[in-house]
Amino acid sequence: MAKYVVMNGNMAAAMGAKFCRPDVIAAYPITPQTPIVEYLAQFIAEGELDAAFSEVESEHSAMSVIQGAALAGGRTFTATSSQGLALMYEPYFRTSTLRLPVVMAIVNREMISPQTVWGGPQDSLTLRDAGWIQLYCEDNQEILDTIIQAYKIAENSEVLLPVNVCFDGFYLSHMAEKVEVPDQELVDEFLPPYYNCHIKLDPQEPISVDPLTPGSLLIEYRQKHMEAMQRAVEVIKSVDIEFGKVFGRCYGGLVADYRLEDADYVIVTLGSMTGAAKEAVDLARDKGIAVGVLRVRALRPFPVDEIRKKLMGRRAVAVVDRNVSFGWGTGILYQEICSALYGISSTPIPILPYIGGLGGEDLTIDMFNKVIDDLKKAGPYSENITTRWLIRGESK
Amino acid sequence: MSLVTELCNKEDLLSPGISSCIGCNVELTLRTVLKVLGPNTILAIPPGCMGGVGVVGWGKTTGAKVPVFFPLLDNVASMLAGIKLYYEKIGRDVNVVAFAGDGATVDAGLQCLSGAAERGDKIIYICYDNEGYMNTGFQRSASTTKGAWTSTTPVGEASRGKKQHKKDLPLIMAMHDIPYVATATPAFMLDLVRKVEKAKSIKTGLAYIHVYNPCPTGWGFLPAMSIHMSREAVKTGLFPLYEVENGKFRLNYKEKKSDVKSYLRNMKKFAHLSDEEIDEIQCKIDEKWSRLLYLDGLLIGSDGGN
Repeated sequence: MAKYVVMNGNMAAAMGAKFCRPDVIAAYPITPQTPIVEYLAQFIAEGELDAAFSEVESEHSAMSVIQGAALAGGRTFTATSSQGLALMYEPYFRTSTLRLPVVMAIVNREMISPQTVWGGPQDSLTLRDAGWIQLYCEDNQEILDTIIQAYKIAENSEVLLPVNVCFDGFYLSHMAEKVEVPDQELVDEFLPPYYNCHIKLDPQEPISVDPLTPGSLLIEYRQKHMEAMQRAVEVIKSVDIEFGKVFGRCYGGLVADYRLEDADYVIVTLGSMTGAAKEAVDLARDKGIAVGVLRVRALRPFPVDEIRKKLMGRRAVAVVDRNVSFGWGTGILYQEICSALYGISSTPIPILPYIGGLGGEDLTIDMFNKVIDDLKKAGPYSENITTRWLIRGESK
Repeated sequence: MSLVTELCNKEDLLSPGISSCIGCNVELTLRTVLKVLGPNTILAIPPGCMGGVGVVGWGKTTGAKVPVFFPLLDNVASMLAGIKLYYEKIGRDVNVVAFAGDGATVDAGLQCLSGAAERGDKIIYICYDNEGYMNTGFQRSASTTKGAWTSTTPVGEASRGKKQHKKDLPLIMAMHDIPYVATATPAFMLDLVRKVEKAKSIKTGLAYIHVYNPCPTGWGFLPAMSIHMSREAVKTGLFPLYEVENGKFRLNYKEKKSDVKSYLRNMKKFAHLSDEEIDEIQCKIDEKWSRLLYLDGLLIGSDGGN
C-alpha cells in the first residue's frame, strides 16, 4: 500500500537522501536549503538514519568533508544554495575531476548582488561546465525520486561522476504537496551498497591521489571524464526506466515533454516554471493552438539528440530562462538549445529567447500566454534573436 | 636501544628520491614523523614545499609508501575530517594526518582547521613552519617573523621587511580546548618524536603540532646550519618548546639563554635590520616568554574531549 505524505521540497530531498543510506553527510545551512540540514540532523537524532554528520563551518568545508569521506570509500550527501555553492566552487570542481560519485542537492537561489535570498537557478547553471551531472526537478515527488536515481547514476561504473539534484528555492523547497514515499526495502533493492574501487585512500592498499600531473596525462583524464559524461546520457535514461519499473514513476530521462506530439510550437522550460507553462498550454489547446512543453531535466550531460528529435520540424520554439548569460544577452538555456539545433535544417527554426522570474519573481500563466501569442506570430529565425523580458504587469 | 637506532630500524615511508633543497629539515621532520606514525596512516600534503618536492608524486609515480594526496591549500583539515569520519563509521582505526606548511595552516586553511578543532575531528595536524611560502619563492605568510625580508615584503628605501609580528597559531589552537597542542623543532628530535607519539595516542579530538623549520634556501643561511638554527630558535626563546595536554600547559625547554641578535644576524632575511629593530623583536620575545613562564604548569583550558 503506497504511503503518501504532504511535504515540502526540502523534506523530499532530505528524505530521498535518507533512503539512500549515506555514510557521511556534511552540510552548512543557507536559505533556502537550511531545512534540509535540519531534517537530516533530525533523522539522525531520532535514529532513523545511521550516518556520520559533520556540522561544518562553511560550504567550502561541507564539500571538502564529503570529498574526504568519498575518497575513503563512503557514500555521501550534501546540499547547498547560491552563495554557498559559490564558496564551494574550489572543491566542487575537484569533486568531479576526482570522479567521486557524490550527490548534492542544490536548492536554486539567485546570486547576489543585489542582496536576495529568493529562487532562480543562476547558481548551478553558472557551474554547468564544472564536470558534474546536473538534473533539474519540476515538483517535490521528482526531487525525492531523483535523489535516489542520482546515486544510481553517479555510482554506475560507466559514469563515476557527482550529481546535482537541482530544484527551485521556495517554489519547491518551501511549498508542500503530496509525495509518495517509497519502501526502504525497494530502495535498497534498487540501490545496492556502494563499493569504491577506482580511487581510494586506504592504508591497506596505498596509492597516491593527485600527484603533480603533466599536461599530457591531464588531457587523458579530461578525455575520459568527458567520455563518462557522454555515457551518462544512456545511464540517466536507463536508470529512469528501471526506477519506473520498481516505483511506478518515470520522468522522461533527460527531457520531459507535455502535449508535444503534434505541437507546432514548443516552449522549452527548466524546473518548476513548467507547471505554469503546462497550464498555459492547456488553455491554448482549448483554443485549438497546437503547442507543447519540452522540459530539460538533464542540463549536463546536455541531451542534444533528444532535443533535436523533439524540436525538429516545429514552426517555432520559445526558451524561457530564469537566469542570464552575461555577454550573450540571453539566458543560458537559450544558448544551449541554439547550439543543439545548429544545422538541423536548411531553414533555421525560429527560437525565441525569454528571460523572466529572476530573484524569485513569479513566472505566471499570463506570461506563458504571451509567449504562445509570440510563437504564433514569429517570423524567421533572424528576426527573433533578441531577448524578450517577462515582467509582471507587462504580460497582458 | 637508543632513539637513533630505533628510528633507523623503522621503515622509511618516503621515497629516497625526494628533491628538497640541501639542508632541508622539513624533509627530515616528515621522514621522522612517518616513522613514528607507521604505515597505518593516510597523509595529506597540501600545496607547499613537501608537495613541490614530490611527496605526493609526479605523473604516475608516488613519493610515499602510505596513501598520500594533495588536499587544497585551504581544505586540509576538512578533507581529513571526512576521511576520519568514514573510517570511524566502519570501525577502523587509521591515523589521518596533515603535514602542511604555514601557508596552508596559518593563512588559507585556518578557518577549516579551526572548524575541525572545534568539532573534535580526530585527526593529527602537523604544521611545518618555515615562515612563508618557501616553495614558490619566499612570499610572506602570517607566520613570518616581523622585519623579515620576503619577496612580498622587500627591503628598500620605503620598506623594512614584514611590518607585523608573527601570528601565534599554537596558542590559538590551544584556546580551542583540543586534547593536545605542541610545538617542536627537529633540533630537539627526542622531544619531537615523543610529541608525535603523544599525538598518535590521542583519541578524543584533534592533535596539533607546530614544528619550526628554518629554511636555508629562503632565509639565507648555510645548509649545514639547518639544525643549528632550529636549536638557536629555541634557545633564544624565539620559538619556545611547549605542549598543552588536556588543557595543562607545560614549557618543555625553560632555559632561555641567549639574546636573539646573533641568531638573526646569521641569516640574510634579517640582514638589513638595525639594532633598534632587533631590539623590538627581542622585546616581543621577552614579553611572550614571560607569558609562557606564567602559564607553565597552569590549567589553561579543558581537555576538549568530544
